[in-house]
Amino acid sequence: MRFQDAARDGRAVVYAAIQAEPLVALAASLLVEAGTPERLLARAVMNGERTDPAGWRRMFPALFGDGVPATERDRAEAILAVSLQVADRGEQVRSQVRGAIVEALTERLIARRGPTVAAAVRRERRILFDGVSAEIHPYDVTVEVDGRAEAWDCKWGARGIGPDVLHQLDDARTHAVDEDEPLSVGLVVFDAEVSCRVRLDRQTAPHDGTRIVAIEALHGLAEPAGPAAAR
Amino acid sequence: MASALVRELLDRAILAHRALADLGEEVEDEWTYVNDLHDAWAARLTQLADARGDEPVAAGASDAIDEAIAEIEAIADPHRAIDWLSTFPQVVVLAIGERG
Repeated sequence: MRFQDAARDGRAVVYAAIQAEPLVALAASLLVEAGTPERLLARAVMNGERTDPAGWRRMFPALFGDGVPATERDRAEAILAVSLQVADRGEQVRSQVRGAIVEALTERLIARRGPTVAAAVRRERRILFDGVSAEIHPYDVTVEVDGRAEAWDCKWGARGIGPDVLHQLDDARTHAVDEDEPLSVGLVVFDAEVSCRVRLDRQTAPHDGTRIVAIEALHGLAEPAGPAAAR
Repeated sequence: MASALVRELLDRAILAHRALADLGEEVEDEWTYVNDLHDAWAARLTQLADARGDEPVAAGASDAIDEAIAEIEAIADPHRAIDWLSTFPQVVVLAIGERG
């Protein structure tokens, strides 16, 4: 098993520009420090129709109410501001930016496990196995540590969980087993755990060996042992 | 004036969530997912109404749910509606002081 940079085709070049937007890095850096309510705020606003910040503040009294400490309120205000910037983009770009934010957030959370892991986190990598045709689509985030490698795909919503990504992840895991190389695979989904479970319940693609990390459990990505198995 | 009860807020939220699911159903390929998702969250909100329905609403919760309902009523795109099928009940649950 070995890792390789993804081919720099047209899609990759366009998407790399999205990934490199300062807005993506800013949002990810704020969300890495956030709790679940603030992440829910980001999801709501980035999915939102309306751009009046006062309305969003009223919708989240747990973040903006009178009794909220100033430091927490300031953090929520920063997340609201960056989320409104994302929501202000055209629909297609908004969708790409949201996806890039989940990837950047995943990378940052995993890097918090410590310097060894931080130095081994990569983006947009393919995984090659002897005698197996390489997948076209790269993995969003990989952790390339000998003996405890990981491959993650990232989704903005549970609707992104489908047969293609489940097969790709499970294929990688089983090919790694064939080579006696441990490889953890998983999906990071910036959506509710309930929604992920509902989505998975109708999937026939293999996923028992695939970890699902929903919005409520993102903090687990930063834990030294990685996130607990959701299923 | 007497404070509203949690049950009244949740009843409004459940109705609004159903209307959101009706819009999401327009994406025919996602009909099953939309209804599975609606049913899962409706069960959660109903469970909360049964458990805490007679409690008075905390400050800010009624405005929060009004805003959330206004937001989903502004949605015309069925794909956007599907995005909100989980986000809306999460906002509602948070507004009444639950953790998901």
